Parts: sequence; structure tokens; C-alpha cells
Amino acid sequence: MSIAIAEGCCFHCGLPNEEGNKYPVEINNKLHHMCCPGCQAVAQAIVENGLANYYEFRTEPAARGDSALDNTMAQLSVYDEPELQEEFVFDQGKHKQIQLTVEGITCAACGWLIEKQLAKVKGLKQISVNVSARRALVTWDESETKLSGILARLKAIGYASLPFHPDEHEASFKKEQKSYMKKLGLAGIMTMQVMMLAFGQYFDVFGNLDAQTQGYFNAVSLMLTTPVVFYSASVFYLSALKAIQARTVNMDVPVTIAIFSTYIAGLLAVNDGSGEVYFESICMFIFFLLISRFLEHRSRHKATEISSNMLKLIPATASKLVNNDWVSVLAKQLVAGEHVLVKAGESIPIDGKIVKGQSTIDESMLTGEFEPVFKAQGQQVYAGTVNQQANLEIEVTSQLKFAMMNQILRLQEVALARKPKIAKMADTFSRYFVSIVLMISALTYIYWHLQDSTDAFWITISVLVATCPCALGLATPSALTCAMAKLNKLGILLKRADALEQMTNATDIIFDKTGTLTQGKFSIQQIHMLSDKYSQDYVMQLATFIEKRSEHPIAKAFDYGFDAHDFQLEDYQITIGQGVLAKVNGNLVVVGSKRFIKSQLNNAEVCDTINANVYIAINHEIVAAFLITDTVLPETQKVISELNDYSLCILSGDEQKNVNNIATEIGINRAVGEQTPEGKLNYVQQEQAKGKSLIMLGDGINDAPVLAAADVSVAVGNASDLAKNAADVILINPKLNALVDLISMAKRTKTKIKQNIIWALSYNVIVLPFAVMGLLSPWQAALGMSLSSIIVVYNSTRLMR
Amino acid sequence: MSIIYVLIPLAIIIVAIAIGVFFWAVRNNQFDDLERQGYSILFDDDVESKEKDKNEQKAASDKIDE
Repeated sequence: MSIAIAEGCCFHCGLPNEEGNKYPVEINNKLHHMCCPGCQAVAQAIVENGLANYYEFRTEPAARGDSALDNTMAQLSVYDEPELQEEFVFDQGKHKQIQLTVEGITCAACGWLIEKQLAKVKGLKQISVNVSARRALVTWDESETKLSGILARLKAIGYASLPFHPDEHEASFKKEQKSYMKKLGLAGIMTMQVMMLAFGQYFDVFGNLDAQTQGYFNAVSLMLTTPVVFYSASVFYLSALKAIQARTVNMDVPVTIAIFSTYIAGLLAVNDGSGEVYFESICMFIFFLLISRFLEHRSRHKATEISSNMLKLIPATASKLVNNDWVSVLAKQLVAGEHVLVKAGESIPIDGKIVKGQSTIDESMLTGEFEPVFKAQGQQVYAGTVNQQANLEIEVTSQLKFAMMNQILRLQEVALARKPKIAKMADTFSRYFVSIVLMISALTYIYWHLQDSTDAFWITISVLVATCPCALGLATPSALTCAMAKLNKLGILLKRADALEQMTNATDIIFDKTGTLTQGKFSIQQIHMLSDKYSQDYVMQLATFIEKRSEHPIAKAFDYGFDAHDFQLEDYQITIGQGVLAKVNGNLVVVGSKRFIKSQLNNAEVCDTINANVYIAINHEIVAAFLITDTVLPETQKVISELNDYSLCILSGDEQKNVNNIATEIGINRAVGEQTPEGKLNYVQQEQAKGKSLIMLGDGINDAPVLAAADVSVAVGNASDLAKNAADVILINPKLNALVDLISMAKRTKTKIKQNIIWALSYNVIVLPFAVMGLLSPWQAALGMSLSSIIVVYNSTRLMR
Repeated sequence: MSIIYVLIPLAIIIVAIAIGVFFWAVRNNQFDDLERQGYSILFDDDVESKEKDKNEQKAASDKIDE
């Protein structure tokens, strides 16, 4: 049952080994190769803990290991703070209990691995892993181990876990789910019993039964049916009652009438000892209807479960200045006027002004653009952005709840509330259908009653049961459930099942640029050699040698190999945000922007004639120029070409010029640049006002409001948590190809739903005349209805193939 | 036929017990994760003892060889 990993692919995560066989691990006496240090460390930890059998048991490859393991480990100690634990740890006297969301669970073997690994932690009392929900419930003894220790153990074997809070919505869903299960189970078991007795009577298994035995059988059936009618079917009565109170009808109204009248007629018949009973039909009818409700509920439950896994608690901490000393506190406790220290590489915990120091700041999470911004004393910095170069002292200007980031969050909430609602096809449909059914039943009863038929009552019941739109009710949920399961396997998570239905109505697809269509990191596009004195090879080596020391993201584009012995560095000066001045082997080398080069050299006019943004000069002579931009993801082109049925548009926060470049490169006609999160939101709402239906793809925090507003929103791989939270669909693979799969699946699902509805309706229409003419007895009607439902479900499961 | 007057009530009692057990199981989250539990029987708990078995087998076969 273990899976086969292809040659040249990582034995742990299954991704290709791009760096060759650099990271070997011996597993079960055989040498295997991993793709990265992260996977290697994880595999090593698994083997060292005697859990190598995981690799035999698993049915899916693992998630990729985290290379920055030590760094994340250090941050875990935050979770031991009592203020923080208050929010999500349940105190059970001696022990503490917590729910964790665990990332990276791919198959049942992961559950086994986690439980085995954690069972070794001293002081851990209980652990249970839920593989389908990707969660773990942990109980531990605080005196023997710490929460951070448990999280660290999980991290070591490759699972990132975070405390979380199931939201109210989910808690109520869970309660309902359990109640459905009980009702369904009861109905199922009882149906079997009643059916057994009924079969005995129908097919004369016991020979000719005398009246007394018949009466006995009926009484027993009545007794078994009673809990089904009053407990299992209560969902229908409540829903019918609600509909009637709202002065409308729904599917449950005829269902309730049919169940109650059949039951009461049966009750009277048992009491009198004469007349017909249809207890087995009632039970079967309720059982099948419950199955459809249960399926529908479960598909919605799954979706909320996924979305609440996204709501992770990542507490921001800050070091605050108290009596000339830095103390670690929670960011939400900070108030205006306090001073906070932010070290290089840390994220800024709160909105504030810089009072000491200067640095470049990565604001990509707010603006979507990865080019860092240079900020000095007196300038405003925002919570959630990352300080890249130097330590900063910040004076807090507003509390965390008023931070820019939380404003975006509020914008998202507002947008979500205004999101266009879909009219559910089956819902409106069944309302008309039900009204007609009720009318026909009434007419049938009146007609047969006037004919003085003793069967008038049973014929009416047959009409109600035969035309029960049960299969119609199953048509949509069963198809959506199957489509969701299939998409899950393809690495596409659906948070809202009906997003699939909406997707097929979409007219436009809007893309965010950075991170969605492009890689979100710089690479060298063009090299212009401007001097014959040096070879290109030498210049590239020199540039790489110098830029390796810089933290600027443009510098990372230089990754040419070099031999360190060739270069002797004597002097090195960085001008933040502009360039580098260095002395290598006695030569003065300048690498930097056009402005920097011009300020350093006198004869730099040549810069103006070339399409480039980074220059290198040796001994006051410009030798080469580079065009360094963000590159389009390799699969983007292909995906775009497959989407020509839609009108496409790029919506970005980047400069209009850059957006236009990318748009022409991949062949998208419309490109809108320089948009703030509000601007993006306005654009989408304007388009929606024109009657367009939009699919929006994005990844950054700045995309969150617009994702919430779009008819269907898709968060692409590596998206920020906020974007994932706002989106309807999450692509787990960082590849855009999944979008094509998603759209084609949406279309298939729509066809399937239509097929199901047509089948369900035509069955009802065909069977109706027979029922009205009195040719159908209630048990035949119930059987037909069930068969029709089973056909619908079977048709839907074909989507899973 | 009078036996059914005893057997059917007996069957109903058993059914009632089954339903009771089922309700208990639902209440205790036994149906929360249907994916995983099916596999648990296939996972060996102890790698060491398996290897020990192998070694013992090997030792045994070595003896026979001798």
C-alpha cells in the first residue's frame, strides 16, 4: 500500500530533486534522496524516532519540509505565554487541552506518525488526530511539558501546527451533523426491521397469516415506526413549519403531509384491526429523504471546516521599552506613545513612526509589491510589514485594532456582506413544483372522493409520495459533494460548494499580478555588455560576488557561480535602496540604479539610451547594464491561452508601466495598475454593477477585500492567510494550471446537475398520471421514489472519476 | 407460529440496544474521522520487534544451515 516515488524525485515530498542527490537519508536500510534540507531534516527525524514505517504505510507523499526550521522553532515559545493561552487552552484541572490545526497531513499514515511521535513526549496525556479535518486534540500536563515543546516535536517531523478556535458557526454545524447522524441511523435500523415484517406479509413467507398474527405484525411495525416519525423526521416538520410561517411552501410541506396522514391512517387501522398500513413505506421514505439532507449538510460542513482551519491564531509580540530595558509583550497590549524595538528580519508588530534608525521595509503584504520601500526617521511604518535591514525603534501611533492591516480586514468584511447572492436553481424551482404537487393532490382527492372510491385517501398519498421532489433535492448537493471530493484530490480546496455553480456563470477573470501571474521575485531579463575590456562571464561573476552581500531583493537576481579566490574585497559600502560601492582587486566597482551610477560617475549619459535598471561600472567606466524584472510564471502563458472564452484583466498595485509589460507579454488586453486595496474593490464593484460576473485570483493581503467582493474568488498557492480566508477556492499547488481544472470541473458539475434535475423531474412527471389514476400503491410509489434518488446519486458519483 | 410472540420482542430489545450503542458512538465522536481508522489496523506498532523477529528467523535458518 505504500506509494512509489519516481526516480530523481524527493522520497519525502515527491517533488523533483533539483539539486541532485545532495540530501540523502537512510530509511529502512536503503539510501533515499531528498530535495531540500527541510525534507532531509524531517526524514532524518522520522527515522531517528523509529517511525520509518511511515514510509511503508503512507498513501500520499508528505508536504515539503521547512528549510528555516530553527528559526520557526525559536518563535514557538510565544505560545507558552499565559495571556495567549487564555484564549484557546481549556484548563481541565491538572491537565490542559488544546485543539491544533495541523498543516501537511496528506494521508492516514500522517495521523499514525503524529500520534506515535507525540506519545513519546513526557507529560503528554492524550492525543487524537483527525485526518479528514486536519486537526489534533492534545491533552498535556503543564508541570511536565510545555505547549511549545509539543509544537516543536510536531515541527521536527514536518507538520506545522497552530492553536485555533473553532468558530461558533462550525460548532453549531458539528452539533447538527451529529443529530443528523443519529436520526439517519435510527431511521436506517428501524427501516430494516419494519421492512422485514412487511416482506413477510407481502410475499406470504409464513404461509397464510391469520388476522390475529397480521394485527400483531402491524402493531409491532407501528411501534418501530413511531420513533422514526417523531424523532428522525422532525427535521422536515420544523422546516415545513418555518416555511408556512414565512407564508411560502417548500419541499418539506408535502413530505410532512404525506408522512403524517399515512402514519395516522396506519394508527387507526391498527386500532380498528382493519384497513391497510404502509409503515414500511413511511420508514423508507424518511430514510431516503434523510440521506439526501445529510449529504447536503455534510458538503456544507466540510466547507466551513476548511475555512475555519484558516483562522489561525498567530499572535504578534513586540519588545517594548520599559525603564531602559526591552520587555517582550503582546502587540495588542501596546498603546500609543510607547517605544518598540524591531530587529532586522522581524515583522513590525504595530503601526508607528520610526524614531531611531533607517531601513528598507518589505510592504508586499499590504501593497502586493515586493520591491521594498526605504524608510527613515519620522516616517510611518505599518503592522505586518517586514523590517529588512537594520534595527528600528518605533513609537506606537495607534493601537493594534486600528492598524492598517485591521482596516483592510474590516474592508474585507464589508465587501463580503455585499457579495452578490446566488439564487439557488433547485430552490426556486422546487417551490413552484411543490405548489403544483399540492394542488394536484387536492384535486385527485376531490375527484376520487366524488367517485365514492374508498381508495381516495391512499391514491392521494401515492401522489404525494411519488411526486416527492426528493431526487430533485439530491440533484445539486450530491453533484457538488462529488465534485468537491474530486477537486480535493487535485489540490483544489473549495470553501463554499456553491462557488462551483457560480463559476460557470462568470464572464470575466481578473488576475492580481505579483505572485499570481508572476513569480514575485526578480530575475535578470536582459544583459547589455557595454565594454570589450571584460568578458561577460567575468562581469557576471563580479556582480554576483558583490551583490551576494546585499539583502536587497534585486541583488538576489544575481546568482551566477564565482570562485571566491579570484576576488579580494577591500572596501564595501551599501547605500540603502540605491547601490553598492566596492573595491575588488584594487579596482573600484559600482553596482546600482541609474541614479546611483549617475551620482558616482561623470560620464553616465549612456544609461539613458538603454532599457535597463541596474548598471555595473569598473574604474569609472560602465561595463554592463541589466534589465531585472519580475518573471512570468512558466505555466502562465499556457493557462491564459486556454481561458480565451473569458474576458481577462490584470488588476495590480504595481506601476502602470510594469503591469502593461506583463499584460503584453502574456497576451491580456486589459491592465489596470496603481490600485490601492480600496481601488481594486471599487473596480470590481463597478464591473459587477455593469452586470458582469467575476472570478478574481489573488494572493496578497491587499487582495483580501477584492477577493471577498468577487462573485467567485480564488487564492493561489502561497497566498497570505488573509487572502485564503477571504477566498472561496484555494489552490494548494502553487501552479496556476489548477485554474483550468477548476473551471472545467465547474462546467462538468453544472452539466451533471442539469442531467440530475431533468431525470428527477421527468421521473416525477411520468409517474404522476399513474399515481393520479390510482394505479400506484403507496409502497410502489415509495420504492420508485427511492430508485430515482439512487440513480441521481450514482450519476453524481461519476464526477469522481 | 406462537414462537414469533417471543422472538419479535426479543429482536426489538436487541435493536434497541444496537441503537443505544450507535447513539453512544455518535456522541463520543467515533464517526468524526472515517478516513483514518480504517487504516490503523495495517500500521505495525513496533519496528524493533519486527526486526528482532527477522533476526531470530535468520538465526534459526543459520542454525539449520549449519
